Amino acid sequence: MKKIIIILLFLILYSVAANAQKTPGFGLFTDRDIYVSGETLLAKIYIPEANSSRIIYLDLVNRYGTRISGVPLEIRNSQADGFLILPDSLSTGNYLLRTYQKHNAGKQMVMREIWISNRFDEPGKTIEMNRVENLNKIQEKESNQISIEGIEQQYQINQPFGSNIKINPTFLNEIDGELIVSVAQTDPSFAADAFLLQSDSGNDGMPEKRGIILSGIVTDKKTNEAATNITVYLTIPDTVPGFQYYNTKKDGRFYFLLDKYYGSVEAVIQCFGNTPDQRLKISLDDLFAAAGELPEFRQEPIQETFRNNTVRNIDAVTFQKVFAQKQIILNAPVLTNQKTYPYYGKATETVDPQLFIDLPDFTEISRELLPGVKFRNYNNEPTLQVLNSQLRYFFEEAPLLLIDGIPIRDLNVIKDMGTSDIDRVDICRSERFYGDLRFPGVVAIYTTKSDYPMLSESDQLIRLTLETIQETVSLAETNIPEPNIPDLRQVVYWNPKVKPAENISVKCSISSVQGLYKIIVRGKLKDGTLFFSEKQFEVK
Amino acid sequence: MSNRIKHILLLVLALSFGSLVTAQETQNVNWEAQKIKGVRPLPDAVYNGSPFLNDSWLPGKIEFADGEIADSIYMKYSSFKDELIYFNKTISAQIMIDKASLNGFSFADKNNKMRVFRKQHFDGFMKGDRYFEVLADGETDLLAYRKVNMNGVAPYHDVNGILKNMEYSTDYQFYFYTPEKGYNSVRLNRSAFLAKFVKTDQKPIKKLLRKNKIFILDEDSFIDAWKTIEKEGFKVVF
Repeated sequence: MKKIIIILLFLILYSVAANAQKTPGFGLFTDRDIYVSGETLLAKIYIPEANSSRIIYLDLVNRYGTRISGVPLEIRNSQADGFLILPDSLSTGNYLLRTYQKHNAGKQMVMREIWISNRFDEPGKTIEMNRVENLNKIQEKESNQISIEGIEQQYQINQPFGSNIKINPTFLNEIDGELIVSVAQTDPSFAADAFLLQSDSGNDGMPEKRGIILSGIVTDKKTNEAATNITVYLTIPDTVPGFQYYNTKKDGRFYFLLDKYYGSVEAVIQCFGNTPDQRLKISLDDLFAAAGELPEFRQEPIQETFRNNTVRNIDAVTFQKVFAQKQIILNAPVLTNQKTYPYYGKATETVDPQLFIDLPDFTEISRELLPGVKFRNYNNEPTLQVLNSQLRYFFEEAPLLLIDGIPIRDLNVIKDMGTSDIDRVDICRSERFYGDLRFPGVVAIYTTKSDYPMLSESDQLIRLTLETIQETVSLAETNIPEPNIPDLRQVVYWNPKVKPAENISVKCSISSVQGLYKIIVRGKLKDGTLFFSEKQFEVK
Repeated sequence: MSNRIKHILLLVLALSFGSLVTAQETQNVNWEAQKIKGVRPLPDAVYNGSPFLNDSWLPGKIEFADGEIADSIYMKYSSFKDELIYFNKTISAQIMIDKASLNGFSFADKNNKMRVFRKQHFDGFMKGDRYFEVLADGETDLLAYRKVNMNGVAPYHDVNGILKNMEYSTDYQFYFYTPEKGYNSVRLNRSAFLAKFVKTDQKPIKKLLRKNKIFILDEDSFIDAWKTIEKEGFKVVF
């Protein structure tokens, strides 16, 4: 009995300790708290050390829980940073920026309130703002171990700005990961906070250990039940198309791993019935988490200084748009291992019909230009066969036919394709395999337009733009071609990846936008405590 | 009473273990295995000898060109074709994996010895990518090209009683290799081995081999000899 009590005590203590470790280490910071629609929001996320996912999501919801935009970000060293473009159409008001890992979004989520003013709204139209209340506020500790030196009280517009951040060497050893250093406009009348939402309800999903997991379900349209043993294909059309497949089990669900894609990619998800009369329906799961529980809001009157600053910001952003001043620069990821070839194998032969005489349809093209490919259209019933060059006979089954990498079965789609429609044709004259898929020869047609317009969307074929891992971004440098054009940046310095050092030098130039600015250094300690140090100055 | 508590505890532990397990990425255990690209191999002609290094299917790992690894793949290395063939259980098919898609492969042979093969470009006669077995990995690698040739022989009756005049015979080639200096062919005997070092090193090498009681008689002793000598800092002359 004693033993059992000891075990029970151990289990209770263990679970308490595990829960105690959950809270520290979460942080969500933005370059500012107040934005204007059409601007870009920069964000940095701190995640507790023991996270099982490679992906963290950042999205923007309004106070009713409707998602406006979102991006998946890559976690590196328990940190992530990225940006969100705030749509021009957003109405003026409070919004919530959320960050979460999808597999446990119901259990843990960090929110930060921000204010967005619509550029086209009449100033003074909105008289009240909604502030979040009764939530578990993420505490930040102001550190006296960091001194920000070389800051003057006042700066002139367009003046060079320089500062030296000194960190106490003993404190340096306690810092975990990288720091954020920002110099941006501030408004003391609206100080936003971040909140941690925790709940014990909700199930743990599949952690995105290696990349984004795109999932969904295939149902039989007749029975409305999950369809078993259906092969679902995901194609990402490109010069070397990306391709994955998944064979559904009893639950009809499918999963695709997107671990090597960055930015927005066009994708096609499709499936074919096991029998000619089987009609299926693909339903994709939402890439982002559901709205979940929303915080409570209290109403507060808008202060005069806040309103005036907002008007000034709207003007600045409007002129920034007029002069096409960029806020950020995308840093394309470094691609390694370029020596790749399509999933259907290296082509036995590649034919460019443009190099030959114009031919009106695919029957003519196959007959004249494609050795080992037999496309015939007798009685309007097209057939396609490919030669097995090893055994010197034509495969009896139809080959894998692709248009811009997308598998198609309806030969009527290609029968009218002439020379002007085709950029190149790859032919594989052998029995090819890709995983568990067998291809009795391959004919891959790449169209000149690369927009595969002939493939109509249906319940069995979904075309979509996927938001994959966001590319890294850096703040655009000042690039004013003429001296009479104002520099309208409200964030003059943003570096979310500053390596902690005893001396950190910050150099930038002040923009033409007047007002109060802050230089802020933020970071996380090894015990999960968030810290900051800041200094305010004025631009006149 | 105590038994009941024990049962409850066991149940709690089992449930918590269950929830841990479901939290893993179980839906598609081996995403990489999907990516194996290949072609149906033509069957080899039946002669004496074997075109394969391992006649039975052995489980092993393959490393794709992008560095990812797929595990528990049943494979056979065709020394005759210098190609890796795997058996796809789901579709019951033998598939010759595209050499261009791999960096290498490894498997444990019948004697439980780990065999590691690496795809490398060979710039000597018959240029191209080859699978080399890595016998010793270091500053200078010792590699083996497990070649099997088909040679003409005196007519004989095979197991089916058919008259044949060809057979598969091994023609293993061994190389010292560094990425900077390339390949240096070596034969498996003491004098050929010693000839790969500068004259002044040969005497101490002989002494070292004697001291360690290494007699180069076969492949294993050759590998032992090289590993011992390399440890002492002797360099192969390319």
